[in-house]
Amino acid sequence: MVENRPFLTVLTHAALIIGVLFLCFPVWMALVASTHSADALSSSPIPMWFGDQGWQNYSLLISRGLPEAGGVPLGRMMLNSAIMALGITFGKIAISIISAYAVVYFKFPFRMVFFWMIFITLMLPVEVRILPTFDVVTKMGLLNSYAGLIVPLIASATATLLFRQFFLTIPDELVEAARIDRAGPLRFFWDILLPLSRTNIAALFIILFIFGWNQYLWPLLVTTDEGLYTIVMGIQRMVNSGESLPVWHLIMGTAVLAMIPPVLVVIAMQKLFVKGLVESEK
Amino acid sequence: MANLSIRSLGKTYPGGVSAVRDVDIKIQDGEFIVLVGPSGCGKSTILRMIAGLETITTGDLDIDGRRVNDLEPGDRDIAMVFQNYALYPHMTVRANMEYGLKNEGLPKDEIAERIAEASRTLRLSDYLDRKPRQLSGGQRQRVAMGRAIVRKPKVFLFDEPLSNLDAKLRTQLRAELKALHARLNGTFIYVTHDQVEAMSLADRIVIMSEGKIEQIGTPMDLYLRPATRFVAEFIGTPAMNFIDATVGSDGHSLQIGEQMIAADAPIHAPAGTLVSVGVRPEHLHRGQDHAMHVKLKTGFVEQLGADTIVHGEASTNGTASPLGVRLQGVHMPEPGSELQLGAALSDLHFFDTASGQRLNT
Repeated sequence: MVENRPFLTVLTHAALIIGVLFLCFPVWMALVASTHSADALSSSPIPMWFGDQGWQNYSLLISRGLPEAGGVPLGRMMLNSAIMALGITFGKIAISIISAYAVVYFKFPFRMVFFWMIFITLMLPVEVRILPTFDVVTKMGLLNSYAGLIVPLIASATATLLFRQFFLTIPDELVEAARIDRAGPLRFFWDILLPLSRTNIAALFIILFIFGWNQYLWPLLVTTDEGLYTIVMGIQRMVNSGESLPVWHLIMGTAVLAMIPPVLVVIAMQKLFVKGLVESEK
Repeated sequence: MANLSIRSLGKTYPGGVSAVRDVDIKIQDGEFIVLVGPSGCGKSTILRMIAGLETITTGDLDIDGRRVNDLEPGDRDIAMVFQNYALYPHMTVRANMEYGLKNEGLPKDEIAERIAEASRTLRLSDYLDRKPRQLSGGQRQRVAMGRAIVRKPKVFLFDEPLSNLDAKLRTQLRAELKALHARLNGTFIYVTHDQVEAMSLADRIVIMSEGKIEQIGTPMDLYLRPATRFVAEFIGTPAMNFIDATVGSDGHSLQIGEQMIAADAPIHAPAGTLVSVGVRPEHLHRGQDHAMHVKLKTGFVEQLGADTIVHGEASTNGTASPLGVRLQGVHMPEPGSELQLGAALSDLHFFDTASGQRLNT
């Protein structure tokens, strides 16, 4: 805002605050609901403030699994989710930074063909290619394994494009200076390109970790073994627990716990992310 | 340190654009060579071919008698300083200078010694642990020079290293560069589009236009005896004035308007040839008693204190052509008034108007 009028300041702040309240309300509800007993939640009105059952609910969740979720302990599901999310994140970053490096810095036959092939896959998210992918994974015998959860989700056109755009902004002289300094392709990648991409990697890490953590459809398809269930699947199974009433207080507690790792990742990476924005070293 | 031999060097880009044609330069050990010319004349392409950053289409490039056409930049024993510094932004000043030496596999104490020496020379000792972004432009360029010095290369290459700096810093770094050259006694090849930079730094200047060499010579060669009209116009500020003339019937004189000037040596052109007579603004003087005289109708006047530069129109032969004169000291000519000017015969340069070649010896 260039103008400095108190009325406008109040108005814009009011709009922002309403927006924040709107976004935070579901989270607030989950937090509140997870501290009540099942009875309090099934009767009207729904409580808007914390109850006294928080401790019991959370200790129940953490200490032993719910029969409604197939009896898989929460810790196990969190671990599965973490392995999958981290696997996808690291895999995607590694693959996409290497392919972007190849596309930008090396001249090889059909370079642009490869680039466009990567680009076109942007239009094919997992949901579109889910049947053929499932078929491939089945034939490779990867059902019910971490590899089956992770590998099909690794290829990423978005991240490749992002790194490509970033590499294109690196001045050619830097590459030339490195060549004169006797840095071969691998050394240039490791000593110069990778450190310069640090902030981009941090930003991608946040996005990709959340993407991986929130995967629902794919894990649902490739896992039948309860030992491989992820937390997002677990929540869904709790809601659809057949005949009995959904145990909302425990479901909300699980949801709150499931939120923690992505939030931690954002907090941890944000520092680096913001630092990169402020310093603008190029 | 090394000598360099460039033989019929040429560069043609895919698509048929030829950036450099038939360039021959012999560079002696320890020489400071400046490649100068307008943008797009191919000077940077030559430098980049010497560095190995650009492939050589035709011709040979020898460093110390060894043909290096097909060697990687890192194996040519050269160092380069770029216009935009090209420092590694995530490394400290020390790491920037160390990087090439580490890749070469030099022992640690040797690296430390070289960096200490270079940073003393360039007054960078206090900044070794800073990142490039914490330094000013001049300091950054000194780090880039330091990165070149520590490698102890056979040839130093500079690609417009001072162009990103402000005028004052540029003058200061120019002096430092010249001192550095004297101290290292290395072979320097320097590219610039700034003729003042070229004149003040070079042992010899290679002046280029459209991919070809116009003239190679010492700064004074180029100033006193430009080989072509292009060189005459490019060297010197304000630029040389040109007045149209024709070769007289005796082959020894020039007809400028109603004036007849007898040249002191034969003019190598048939009678009637159109000639451009060049005279530098600083070689025009007031008064009547000169070999060639010209009237200047005063226009724009630049008062610089030490000199006064008067721009205007010459009226020698009916047709008006632009003319500038540099008068020493303070003068206040009225706009529109006429100045009587003249020049000595030895200060006149004759060029064939059609070919641009110099006619008087």
